[in-house]
Amino acid sequence: MSEIDPALNSGNAASSSAAAGANERKLARKETWRLIRRRPSFIIGMTIALIWVVCALFGNLLAPFDPLNFRGDLNSSPTWSHPFGTDKGGRDVLSRVIAGARDVLKIAPIAAILGVIGGVILGMFMGYLRGWFDSVASRIVESFLSLPVVLLGLLAVTTLGNSNVVVIGVVATLFTPVVARTVRSAVLAESELDYVESAKLRGESTPFIMFREILPNVSGPIVVELTVRIGYAVFTVATLSFLGAGPPPPSPDWGSQVSDNYNSIVSGYWWSTFFPAMAIASLVIAVNLIADAVQSVVESS
Amino acid sequence: MRRYLLKRLGAIIITLWMLATIVFMLVNVLPGDVGRRVLGPTAKLEDVRAYNAKLGTDKPLIEQYFRSIKNLFTFDFGDSFQSGGPVMDLILPSLGRSAKLALLAFIITIPISIAAGIFAARRQDKLADRVVVNAGLASSSVPEFVTASVLLAVFAVNWKVGKVYANVPSGTSLFGQLEYLLLPAMAMVISYFGYIARMTRAGVITALHADYTRTATLKGLDSGQVMRKHVLRNALAPTITVISVQIGYLFGGIIGVEKVFNYAGLGTLMLNAVGKKDIPVLQTTVLIVGMIYMVSTLLADLLIAFLNPRVRLDGGS
Amino acid sequence: MSDSPQTSGTVPALAIEDLQLAYTVRGVPRGVLRGVTFHVEPGEAYGLVGESGCGKSTTAYAAMRYMPSNAVIQGGRVLADGQDVTAMSTQELQEFRMTKASMVYQDPVQAMNPALRIGVQVAECFRILGQSKIEAKDSARQALRRVKIADPERVLDRYPHELSGGMLQRVVIAMALAGDPKLLVLDEPTTGLDATVEAEVLDLVRDLRSETHAAILLIAHNLGVIRTMCDRVGVMYAGRVVEEGTVQEVFDNPSHPYTMGLLNSIPRHGVRKTDRSLFTIPGNLPLIGTDLPTCVYVDRCPLADDICRNEVPPIVDRSDGHWTRCHHADKIDQIKPPEHENNDFDIGTDTIVKLAAVSKTFRQRGNDVPALVSIDLGFKEGETLGLVGESGSGKSTLAKTLLGIHEPDQGGSIHLDGRLVKDKATDRRVESIRAFQMVFQNADSALNRMWTVRRILHRSVTKLAGIHGAEADKKVNDLAEAMRLSQRHLEMKPRQLSGGLKQRVAIARAFAGDPRIVVCDEPTSALDVSVQAAILNLLANLQNDERTSYLFITHDIGVVRYLSDRIAVMYLGRIMELGTTDQIFAGPNHPYTEALLSAVPSIDGDARPRIPLTGEIPSPANPPSGCVFHTRCHRVIMGLCDITDPDTIELADGHTSKCHLTAEQLSVPVTFTSATV
Repeated sequence: MSEIDPALNSGNAASSSAAAGANERKLARKETWRLIRRRPSFIIGMTIALIWVVCALFGNLLAPFDPLNFRGDLNSSPTWSHPFGTDKGGRDVLSRVIAGARDVLKIAPIAAILGVIGGVILGMFMGYLRGWFDSVASRIVESFLSLPVVLLGLLAVTTLGNSNVVVIGVVATLFTPVVARTVRSAVLAESELDYVESAKLRGESTPFIMFREILPNVSGPIVVELTVRIGYAVFTVATLSFLGAGPPPPSPDWGSQVSDNYNSIVSGYWWSTFFPAMAIASLVIAVNLIADAVQSVVESS
Repeated sequence: MRRYLLKRLGAIIITLWMLATIVFMLVNVLPGDVGRRVLGPTAKLEDVRAYNAKLGTDKPLIEQYFRSIKNLFTFDFGDSFQSGGPVMDLILPSLGRSAKLALLAFIITIPISIAAGIFAARRQDKLADRVVVNAGLASSSVPEFVTASVLLAVFAVNWKVGKVYANVPSGTSLFGQLEYLLLPAMAMVISYFGYIARMTRAGVITALHADYTRTATLKGLDSGQVMRKHVLRNALAPTITVISVQIGYLFGGIIGVEKVFNYAGLGTLMLNAVGKKDIPVLQTTVLIVGMIYMVSTLLADLLIAFLNPRVRLDGGS
Repeated sequence: MSDSPQTSGTVPALAIEDLQLAYTVRGVPRGVLRGVTFHVEPGEAYGLVGESGCGKSTTAYAAMRYMPSNAVIQGGRVLADGQDVTAMSTQELQEFRMTKASMVYQDPVQAMNPALRIGVQVAECFRILGQSKIEAKDSARQALRRVKIADPERVLDRYPHELSGGMLQRVVIAMALAGDPKLLVLDEPTTGLDATVEAEVLDLVRDLRSETHAAILLIAHNLGVIRTMCDRVGVMYAGRVVEEGTVQEVFDNPSHPYTMGLLNSIPRHGVRKTDRSLFTIPGNLPLIGTDLPTCVYVDRCPLADDICRNEVPPIVDRSDGHWTRCHHADKIDQIKPPEHENNDFDIGTDTIVKLAAVSKTFRQRGNDVPALVSIDLGFKEGETLGLVGESGSGKSTLAKTLLGIHEPDQGGSIHLDGRLVKDKATDRRVESIRAFQMVFQNADSALNRMWTVRRILHRSVTKLAGIHGAEADKKVNDLAEAMRLSQRHLEMKPRQLSGGLKQRVAIARAFAGDPRIVVCDEPTSALDVSVQAAILNLLANLQNDERTSYLFITHDIGVVRYLSDRIAVMYLGRIMELGTTDQIFAGPNHPYTEALLSAVPSIDGDARPRIPLTGEIPSPANPPSGCVFHTRCHRVIMGLCDITDPDTIELADGHTSKCHLTAEQLSVPVTFTSATV
């Protein structure tokens, strides 16, 4: 034993006990996951969401017509060959709805994940360090929260220009304070607990206490926040896109489809608006059903 | 109480200042010429110069910043590009029209959703409760413009109920105005119903399980008295908070609704300003919406403190 | 069923007959009450005791027919004044709760509606009796006077959060008495209150009882409370009453193995750790919902045999009105009371930890709040210093300042082995960090719930003992073994463990290194007495083996007497009295200690004369002039105590008191009549 380098030795032991811990955590996660999977709202939400994910991934193969360049009869009502009809440009609405899944499913999750990462880091520091940092950051968070995300997004996209990167960046930035506030209050409650004091009495460093002791205990609210944020991201991207501040043309994004065609509703051509609108509704409801299932399981455990 | 109010007002001023700073940074965050960026690479040089001169973006950054903060506190937000007149002359009438629409939406939403929330809470985990909870979830997750366009297609066009264009001709009676505003208001009602109903339900359930409710029941009060005198007073605080937040946030959703129904409110003004690159109008609208949010949450906090004195006013939680 | 014979021809105020109650969980009924039988005569006080989970609160709520929606009565009856409570209509039930029976609960702060003034809530009780608004207001005033609130007008105008727990409990009692009930159900009415406040509330209930002749059903886990308050007592275990009789009979001559175990696990009759270990009950409570057609105590009973495993024991009369449900009542004497062992506790002569002039001032809203004022204290190796005092007296602040969680004010110092240690724990050297450890009151909060027990211990071993690798793994296993934790427990997370096991993990963690002093902040107050006994034994044994010093904070006088070598009494951040355990319990005492000790309800039936502490503990932000205790002192000398802060004087060798009075003056007894607050 004495032959072995002590550092190496300690590394081994640490990894062996860490492995046991990881195993344990995996089991607990498995149990939570099993409970989530059993909820009807999760099953319904996941089914719908998966359909749209398939559309986003394999849209080219599924779409009966070219979503961008196909020219057929203008404003033809739903028929066998065009189940969702055609729009005012003569394009197949079904093909465009399938193709429209791609941008929103690319932008929304990335924006949500970035926003959550930013919010977790900011919130952890605010909640654990408190003091002047928290006071200043809280004021900034508060001023972001005083505005609807869509409004700030609209202003930002106007000054920064339309592009997917801008939309992702804007949505992620606007979500950061929201997530930070949730994480902050969870961390604040957590730092009141005696195990944090106990870690200090053991001589643990601040980063260790924050990220090894506290972070696992606030992972529940973070996961919930992530699913909820994905739902809001879809909501926000769709709305921005309807207002002309979403993914740039010629993207067949659902929001811009509604924006392009809602004026023809008055003339009776409801389908070119209705189907993309339903696509948005079904996706946001699906994501929110998943979020709801995750939330009720996480909060009850 | 006075100390609390002063403290809150101070906080609001700081928040507004930060908000103005954020907006300023949004406009100036990227290096380079603002006019060039906004007007695009194909714009003529003199147009870009004229734009920058109009906006003041040809001046040093620090001077621009101080001017924008000064504008905020003197309530003079400069001139619009589109009209050439003061920004506020454009904003106030539009704000009035939006407020009318929003007011109608809230008059409908608040009683319905609070009643639904209480109804669901009293039947916790039964079928009626599940229906309210899931309907609320679905309705609040769908963007307002989606609901608005579906309502437009189904009611205004198909069933000829309500108007396609929501702009009320002048001289219309109060009741006549309803016909114009009902559909756009309903789009907002559907969105806010879910938040408020679900929050009310949660608040009532918490209060129903509280010890003081047990005390009231064991005094010999009947369940109606327990609900009216003991549960609701404590249960409504989160509902009031969520309503006040929705009042601030409705200006996000109303833009889409106004666009669908071609209603000349604040949202339409903003979209026009986006089209015309009228940054003063955009900036000012953002600040005004922020102010509305802050005032409405302040009023909500005061109302909650009035209903429940345990929420201490001197601390400023 | 031949229960206790009816003593007279009167109808009992409450008769519970073979009550069987279950909670339906996912469609499956899980039995909680397995045939509860007892009755309370009019004007009688009947106590129900038992450890958590035995069903005593469920029984209390069943008496009021206030049950969660998933509760199912599977058999038996609840008769109040001859009326079947379970068969009442909604209207009758309301009437019953209005005028026949009332309840007082644990935690009065939660029991009052935070949004309504006290006046509104008290008057409401009279409004529903049909009184007009003005009448009800007047009645409310009367009601508060009845519970000896001196200034009812002022209290009626307050909101609950503006009043103390003791005051609120008086208000709740006033509301309970509004309809002149024949039956008063008290569910842990003094749990969570300070001993001094508890004593006042109990005095009040005693007075009201003789005034109203209401029957009382008192639920309490504190056996002293039952002994001093009740005529008869029922001992509950796993949903059944296993023994019943007068309090004297049951507490002095227990006839059920469970009652014996329970009583023996409590430190009573002045027993000390040097006399013997505490008795512990092996095993665990049967799970709720287990089918038990047997003696409910069979798994833990030293007398258990086949018949106990197969038949529900009959009621066996012991003496008049005293019975036990035991097959082997005749063999009960075979259970021997714990024997004296004469454990030696070796206390060193050197002071290892020393606090000199340690003060701590918090800043709150711009005001200085002195929480500790010039504390001098020393710890010898292997010594336990007990720390007592009401809540708010600064006990925890002292502990946290010692540990370096709070930074003491300038001028104070903490020495370890004669060397000055840094104020903040994070600034301390590794040896100092390892020397100071803590066992917290609430193990749920003290253990990281996402970590396994093994990880918790392993981390502590690496940080506190500085060992790694296989050596650390071995140390974890050794620690677990010393705490009687199995390998299976090591892989669990805290929430999978019982309260006692969690506290063992917390203790193991504190002892992972080689601590010189361990602060124990009420480590057993959340535990049942039989679990408490095991934890106290463990702490005593560890101390004996490791020669660790303890700073032991508790509100339980029996526990502090059992474990401590010396005791310090704190009030408003000052040490009022310090002496050996014998000195403190023999007296003479500082007046505050005197009052504190007199407030403790004794399970041995030898109560001291009560010295009421008038008024509430003053705010530390605004301490009284002169001696800080003079506002509540029964020996106050106005003109002296309210002007001059007394020095700490020596009453005897090693026994000090911060009071103007000498040992002779403090030995003169004082007498009292009851007062209002």
